[in-house]
Amino acid sequence: MKRSLGFTVTLGALAALVGGCADLDQSRSLGNPKVPPEVTARQVCADCHGVEGNPTSPEFPRLAGQQKDYLIAQLKKLRARVRSDPAAQSYMWGMAHNLTDAQIKGLAEYFSQQVPTHSPITDPVRYARGKQIFDKGIPAEQTPPCMACHGPNAKGHGVFPRLASQQASYIVRQLEVFQKNEGRPGTPMTQVTHRMSHQNMLDVAAYLSALPATEGSSR
Amino acid sequence: MSTPSSRLESALLGSFIVVPAVLVVALALLMPRNSGAVPAYARQTGQNCVACHAGGQFPELTPYGRLFKLTGYTIGKRTIPLSVMAVADYTHTRNTNSPDPHADFPKNNSGTFHVASIFLAGKIIDNLGIFGQWTYDFYDHQNNNGQWVGHFLADNFDLRYADHLTNPQRDWIFGVSLNNNPTVEDPWNNTPAWGYPYQTSSFAVMPSAAPLIAGGLAQSVAGLTGYAYWDRTVYAAVGAYKTADNALSFLSLGVQNPDLTKLDSPMPYWRVAFTHDWGPNSFEAGTFGLSAQVYPDSLNPHGPTSHYRDIGVDAQYEYLLNPHTITAQLTYINEKVNWANSLVADGSVSNSSDTLNSFNLKGTYVYDAKYGVDLDLFNVSGSSDAALYPGTQLDDNGNPVPIPVTGSVNNNPGARGWIAEVFWKPIQYVRLGVLVLQPLQRRHKQLRRRRTQCL
Repeated sequence: MKRSLGFTVTLGALAALVGGCADLDQSRSLGNPKVPPEVTARQVCADCHGVEGNPTSPEFPRLAGQQKDYLIAQLKKLRARVRSDPAAQSYMWGMAHNLTDAQIKGLAEYFSQQVPTHSPITDPVRYARGKQIFDKGIPAEQTPPCMACHGPNAKGHGVFPRLASQQASYIVRQLEVFQKNEGRPGTPMTQVTHRMSHQNMLDVAAYLSALPATEGSSR
Repeated sequence: MSTPSSRLESALLGSFIVVPAVLVVALALLMPRNSGAVPAYARQTGQNCVACHAGGQFPELTPYGRLFKLTGYTIGKRTIPLSVMAVADYTHTRNTNSPDPHADFPKNNSGTFHVASIFLAGKIIDNLGIFGQWTYDFYDHQNNNGQWVGHFLADNFDLRYADHLTNPQRDWIFGVSLNNNPTVEDPWNNTPAWGYPYQTSSFAVMPSAAPLIAGGLAQSVAGLTGYAYWDRTVYAAVGAYKTADNALSFLSLGVQNPDLTKLDSPMPYWRVAFTHDWGPNSFEAGTFGLSAQVYPDSLNPHGPTSHYRDIGVDAQYEYLLNPHTITAQLTYINEKVNWANSLVADGSVSNSSDTLNSFNLKGTYVYDAKYGVDLDLFNVSGSSDAALYPGTQLDDNGNPVPIPVTGSVNNNPGARGWIAEVFWKPIQYVRLGVLVLQPLQRRHKQLRRRRTQCL
């Protein structure tokens, strides 16, 4: 028992010793303001969003090429827990909670400078309907054209996010969040999506996810 | 442990339907200030259970959960790394035919609060983290007066150092784990330490003839396992284990010396897995195994040993896209044992060598991380051995009579059946479930008490 206790104490001392030699270039800490944003992007964010902001899973949004100001605004809202849609609470509140303004700015710069990939066109008819919605809106549902705010190529501007090449499932989920008023206040999107049908959400998401980066790069 | 004597105990189920209802509650000792997540890792990352656990059901990991584990439980901000878990259940066994059902089926048709665990889990430093579980079993055994006696003991333990080299051109994770159960280091849920069933009643009749790697060494050994994960495509691990005694006895805390598996020399363990993620899908296929020299008598670890060679193949599939979670795990393990000559000589085993095969296929669907259903098919087969799997014993008059409950029908370890479970998670750290176990084949029957090994 004494030897076991001795081993545990030795292990603890060793851990404390190594603890003084934290490697900021490889750190996965979210509580250390000294960790460079690019390290956090590659060591933490990349696990879900991909090292260049292009995730494998459609569960997570594509950050590559996103508008820097939009990313800064969203990370600050997540940090302050002002943005409170279910996915934000489950995944991002904790990630953003201890980020400094400088880290947020650095993360936004890193991901905005990456090149987004896009999805293939799997249903040309749906793609065409989605483009019609994006360009012309849906008068019957009092939905204005998306391009009015997000730009003709859906690349966004400032705090208006880039939508081109975004994951279709993420777009649909966020449109539903806006429509149900589930925790993203302070945007015109609640009103925009008020009468929007699920079918039209799927169509416009299919179009935007397949819109290539060359058409909508923010750089 | 899969020594001859314990293999004798570790037989299979008879013609019973067992319906344990299980309640699992995981609570934090300290509530987080701002997060809805509670257990220690959730408090460290600020994320909900669903981020790391497929459909929110522990211990099944998502791709992100696997990376969290492989990078040493170090993502996030260091916090107080303590959590607790409590398990209560109600068990009903349909067929309790035996000369003494009260003794053979204790606590049947009654509810128990049978297990509580404490976890030391979380980031220690940037590259070092821990998962440590210690469990108190309120129904460990009965004393001479028939009263139940509780027992505190070590459970799964994993202290690991890890690093992650990543940029657009490369992705390398590598590390080393100090642990007390081969396959504890593994991040998939088809290897034994984290395999199905994740939670059962202590008093349920369960198939329990199992290869050594499937729990036979748990909390008896200590080992270092080095691993590497390349480009999220190839995972490889190599480990060496010894008996968890002397300075490493804290890894076998509560395990009495006669129950401690004594290894002759460092036991090699290996693991290789190939993985591929596409869209919401994640697939893994791999193999694992060990080669162990085990002393037949734990109290006298000298002389010839029995040699166990376990080889497993496994595959796992996950579909994760809110609100749907679909997972499937397949595991097949083949074991060959060359028994120590002394065991053959004293009649503990009938054959000089035996084989055992274990097959398991499980599927799960979870909706909205709240409502889920599991279906598991299992099949155990192997060589017959009259001494290892006896079916009869001598009565007071010297006449052979069937051994109740634990006796084998034909001296064979075989068993086949299914487990079905429905569960509900009203909040993320409470799980309510009803589990039904139905045998399809009766060769051997045995009541075995299981320990919980669940986060």
